[in-house]
Amino acid sequence: MTCEEAQELITALVDRELLDPERGSLQSHLQECPRCRFAVEQEQLLKQTIRGCAERMHAPGELRDRILSDRRVFPEKSPTRWRHRLWPMPNLARPAFAAAVILAIALPGFFFIRGSREPVAATALESYDLFRKGALSVHRAENPAEIVEHLTRAVGGHFHPMGYDLTAMHLQPVAGFVQEIQGRKILVAVYQGQGGTLFCYTFFGSEQDAPGNAARFYDTTKKMNFYAFSRGGVNAVLHREGEIICVLASEMPMEELLALARSKATPS
Amino acid sequence: MIHLDHLYRVAFHLAQDPVDAEDLVQETFVRALAAHEQFDPGTNMKAWLTKILHNFFVDHYRQRKRWISAEAVTHPESEHWQRLPDLNPGPDSNVLRKELDDQISQALKKIPEEFRAPIVLVDMADLSYDEAASILSCPIGTIRSRLSRGRKLMQQYLKVYVGGEPKRATQK
Repeated sequence: MTCEEAQELITALVDRELLDPERGSLQSHLQECPRCRFAVEQEQLLKQTIRGCAERMHAPGELRDRILSDRRVFPEKSPTRWRHRLWPMPNLARPAFAAAVILAIALPGFFFIRGSREPVAATALESYDLFRKGALSVHRAENPAEIVEHLTRAVGGHFHPMGYDLTAMHLQPVAGFVQEIQGRKILVAVYQGQGGTLFCYTFFGSEQDAPGNAARFYDTTKKMNFYAFSRGGVNAVLHREGEIICVLASEMPMEELLALARSKATPS
Repeated sequence: MIHLDHLYRVAFHLAQDPVDAEDLVQETFVRALAAHEQFDPGTNMKAWLTKILHNFFVDHYRQRKRWISAEAVTHPESEHWQRLPDLNPGPDSNVLRKELDDQISQALKKIPEEFRAPIVLVDMADLSYDEAASILSCPIGTIRSRLSRGRKLMQQYLKVYVGGEPKRATQK
C-alpha cells in the first residue's frame, strides 16, 4: 500500500468507518510509515477541532420564537385541526411519529409564546424581591418531595424543578411556587436557613434568556456557560442543562453564588 | 427544541449566511410536519430532518448563490460566538476559542461545497457515512473520498491551529 492509497483509509479510520478487510492492510502500512501515523494524529485533531467548533454554536433564541409562532407549524386556535394533522386515521406508525415530533418540537414550546422582550430571568427575580419584603406568600411544604411533586404537577410533568442539596450551606428547601412570565411557567424552589434565602428558578429556555448585560463565565472543565447578573440587590447566576434553564438567586456575594452554581451544575 | 441547534449549525455552514440559515431551519420544521407520513419510526429523526433541510437548501438557495464567489462573501462578526468578558481568561480562554471558531468558519467558506457538505454532516453534525450519503444522494465511497480531500484543504487553511501540514500524499 502506498501513502496515497492510505489517505482515504486514514479518513475512514478516524471516523471509525473502516471496514475489516481494509483495516488490516492499513494497520500494516501504518506500522511501517511514521508519516501516515502522523497524518492519522493530524486528522483526528482536525476532526475534534471542527466538532468542538460545532458544539459551541447554538441557534439564536429568536429562531426558536419564530418557529413556535409560525402558524404553519402551530396552527392558531385550532387544536382540533392540529390533532387531525397528526391523527387523521388509525395508523400504528403515527403515534410513534407524533410522540417524536412532540418531543422534538412541540413540548418545549408550550410556554414559549412571549410578548415582552425583557429577559425572563431578570423578570423572575421580582418574586425574590417581593418575598424578602414579605409581600409574597408561598405554600410551605413539609418535605422536599412535596415541593417537587407540587411543582412538577403544575407543569403537567413536562419537566421537574432543579433541586440541590445545600445543607452544607445551611439551606433547606422550604417552599415552592409557580411563576408565569410572558406565558412561560417558571418553577421556583425556595431555600431558607442560617445561610439566608436562595431561590432556584427552573424553566424551559435557552441561554438567550440571560439579560444582555450579564457577565458570562465559561467553565472549561464542565464546558458550560454561567451568566451572572444582579437586580435590586439580588444576585443571580443562570446556566443551562439541555433545554432547562436554572437560575440561582440570593443576596449572598456573587462569587459565592457563582461557585455554588458551578459546583452543582451538571453538563448536559 | 431537540435538533434545533444541530439544524442551525448545518444550515449556517451550508448557506454561509445567518439569515438564510434561520429561514432554512424554519422551513425545515414546516416541511417536516407536512411530510410526517414519510418518516419511518425507529429511524434517526436527526438525519431525516437534515435531509429535508439539505433538499430545501439545494432547491432554493444553492442556485441563487452560485454566482457569488466564496472569497467575495464577507460576514459581520458572528454573533453566535459571543465575546466574553475578560473576567474568565486563561490559556484555554474563550477569546482564543472564538478566534479558532471564526477561522474554521472561514476555512469552510473557502472550500468547494462538494467537500464542505460531508465535513458539515460528518464532523460537525456527527452523522455516519451512511446517513451523509443518504442526505447527499451519493455513494458512501464518495463521502469518504470527499471527506479526505476536504479535510486536507481544511488542514491547509488551519495549519496554524491544528499543527503541521499533512504529508501523507507522498508515495512510498
